[in-house]
Amino acid sequence: MDIFLQQLANGLTIGSMFALVALGYTMVYGVMRLINFAHGDMVAASAFVGLTIYTQVMGQATSLVAVIAIFLLAAVVMAIIGVILERLAYRPLREAPRLSAVVSALGASLIIQNGIMLIWGPRMRIFPELVPQVYWDLGGVVISLIQVIILALSFFLMVGLYLFVEKTRMGAAIRASSIDQDAARLMGINVNSVIMLIFIIGSSLGAVGGLFIGLYYRGITFNMGWQYGLYAFIAAIIGGIGNIPGAMLGGMLLGLFNAFIAGYVSSTWADAFTFILLIVILIVRPTGILGERVAEKV
Amino acid sequence: MNRCTRSILVAVAVALLAVPAFADTLKVGVQAPITGSYANEGQGIENGVQLLAEQINAKGGVMGKKIEVIVCDDQGTAMAAAICAKDLVNKGVSMVIGSYTSTCAEAAQKTYFNAGVLQTSDGTADSLTEKGYWTFLRNSFPNSAEAAFVANYLVKVKKYKRIVVISDFSTYADGLANAAEAAIKELGGNLVSRDKIKADSQNFTPVLTNIKSKHPDAIFFAGYYSDGGQLRAQQMALGIKADFYGGDANDNPDFVKLAGSAAKGAFIVNVPSPDVLPYDIAKTFIADYQKKYGEMPPSIWGLMNIDGMRAIIHAMEQNNSFDTRKAVDYLHNMEKPLPGITGPIAFAKDGNRKGGAYVVKRVQDDGTYATEYVQ
Repeated sequence: MDIFLQQLANGLTIGSMFALVALGYTMVYGVMRLINFAHGDMVAASAFVGLTIYTQVMGQATSLVAVIAIFLLAAVVMAIIGVILERLAYRPLREAPRLSAVVSALGASLIIQNGIMLIWGPRMRIFPELVPQVYWDLGGVVISLIQVIILALSFFLMVGLYLFVEKTRMGAAIRASSIDQDAARLMGINVNSVIMLIFIIGSSLGAVGGLFIGLYYRGITFNMGWQYGLYAFIAAIIGGIGNIPGAMLGGMLLGLFNAFIAGYVSSTWADAFTFILLIVILIVRPTGILGERVAEKV
Repeated sequence: MNRCTRSILVAVAVALLAVPAFADTLKVGVQAPITGSYANEGQGIENGVQLLAEQINAKGGVMGKKIEVIVCDDQGTAMAAAICAKDLVNKGVSMVIGSYTSTCAEAAQKTYFNAGVLQTSDGTADSLTEKGYWTFLRNSFPNSAEAAFVANYLVKVKKYKRIVVISDFSTYADGLANAAEAAIKELGGNLVSRDKIKADSQNFTPVLTNIKSKHPDAIFFAGYYSDGGQLRAQQMALGIKADFYGGDANDNPDFVKLAGSAAKGAFIVNVPSPDVLPYDIAKTFIADYQKKYGEMPPSIWGLMNIDGMRAIIHAMEQNNSFDTRKAVDYLHNMEKPLPGITGPIAFAKDGNRKGGAYVVKRVQDDGTYATEYVQ
C-alpha cells in the first residue's frame, strides 16, 4: 500500500507538469486547429530563461521573493516570445492549408531548440536548488516540499484558467472562437486578439511547467522540450484535444499511468505502454475522454 | 567502452626497429587528441611523454640511444587515428603512446600489430584486449577491475547486508553493473535488486520506490553522472536511507550540482586523481611536470600512459634489446611488478594491466571530495 500511495504521489507530480504543458497545446488547437509543435521547445526555453534570470537579474538570490520574481519574469518573457512566434510563424499562414502551418510549427520548433543550444550550449545545465530539500514522511509515503508546491500551484493555475474561460467575457470570446472563428468575428469578437491571448496564456503556463521541470529535476538540456512536448501532446489527445479540462485530466492520467507502469511493470516499458494507451484511446474514443463528438464539417 | 570523456586510450607505439643498425635514436610515437574535445587530455599525454623522454635522455638515453618523440594528432576521431597509425609506422617508431579514447586506440590497433609496433593505451573498453594483438598493452585497468573492487568494498570492507545495483542500458554501464553483480554474488553478498533505468529520462522515482520496499543499505549506480546526480537527489527525496555509490562515470562536478544538498554523503568510486597518488615516483614526476608546464597533469590517464612507456623501456633495457616481441614477452612474464607512477605495473598475457587502483571518495558538506578508502 505504501508503494501504491508513493507511486500515486509521484504520478500526480509529473502529471501536473504534463497537464500545464498540455494546456498550451490544447488551447492553440481549440482555436486555430493547429498542433503547435514548438510548444515543447518553448517549455524548455523557459527553464533556460529562468536560469538566466536567476544568475543575471536576481544575482543568485534564493529568497521566496526571488523565486516568485523568477516565475513572473520567465512567464512574461515566454509570453512575449509566444506572441512573436504566432506573428512570425503562424499568422502569415492563417489562410494557408493546415499542413503548411504544421510544417511551420515544426520549423519553429527546430529554430527554438537550436537557438537554446546556441545561446546556452549543448551541455546539460544545472538549475539552482531554489526550493530547499524538505521532506515529510507520512507513514511510509514521503512527500517533498517541491512536490507540494508543484501540485498546489498547478491546481491553482488550472482552476484559475477554468474559471477565466468559463466565467469571463474574454473566456466566452475564446470559447466562441474555438467553435467557429467566422461566426465569432461576425459577433464582434477580435479573433486576432483572442489568438494572441491564448498564446500568452499557453506560453506562460508552459513557462511555469518548464520552471517546474528545472526545479524538480535540476538538470536541463536544450533538447528536453521534445520529450516533454510529446508527453504533453499525448496528454492533450487523451483528454480530448481542444478541451481545457480534458488537458488537465489527460496530463494527470498520463502521469499516473506512467508512474504505475514504471513502478509495477518496468521503467523500460513505460514509454511503449504510453503509446499503446494512446492508440487504444484513439481507437475507442477518437475525440479523447472529454472531447465532444462533433460531425466533421463537409 | 564508455562515453568519450571517460575513455582515455594511450597507445604506446612500439618501434619494431626493422633496421636497427641505422637507427641512432629510439623513436617513440605519441598518438593523442592534441586538438578537439579531448585536447586537454591529449596534450597532457604529449607533455608527459616529452618530459619523460627529456629525463631519460639527460641520463644518457636508452642503451645509449636518445629518445625522439614523434607526435600525431588523432583529434579524438577514428579516421584521423587510422591515418596517424600509418604515419607513425612509416616514420619508424618502435612504440606508440596513446590515444586518449578507446575508439582511437581501437582504430589504430591493427596497423601497429601488423608492423610489430608496441601500443600502450589507457582505454578501458574490454574489446581492446580481446583481439589477440600481442602489440597492445593496456596501462589502465579494465571495467571488470572496477567491478571487482566495488564488490569487495561493499561486501567485505563495509559489510553491507542488502545491496542494490542500478545501471542504464549503455554497453559501458550495463557491462560494469553485470560484472559488479557477478562479483558481489561470488563474494557471498546479498544482492536484493538489480534495476535498470533509462538514461536521461529524469524521473527515476518509480524505480526507486520499488527499491525502497526492499530496504537496501547500499546502492551502486554504474551509469553516468547526468543520471547519477538526479538518482541521488530522488533517492533522498524518497527517504531511502541507503549509502549511494556512483561508478567512475559519476566523477564529474555536475554530479554534485545536480544532486544539490542531497549530494553530501554520496560516494564516488574512481581511479585516484594525480594529487592523491601515494607513490614517491608519482610525487617526483608530478613535481617535475608542474615545474616544466606550470600545471597539474589533467588526469591520471595521462600518467597511466607514461607508466606504459616506462614499462616498455624498462623491458627493453632488461632484455638489452630493442626487439618489441621480446619486450612484450618480458612484460607478460615479469615476476615482480615494476613500481609505477600509478601503482605497481604488471601485465597479464592478454595485454591487460594486472591489479587495480581505485579510491572511494565521499562528497562532503561543501561539495568537495574526501578520500574514504584507497585500494
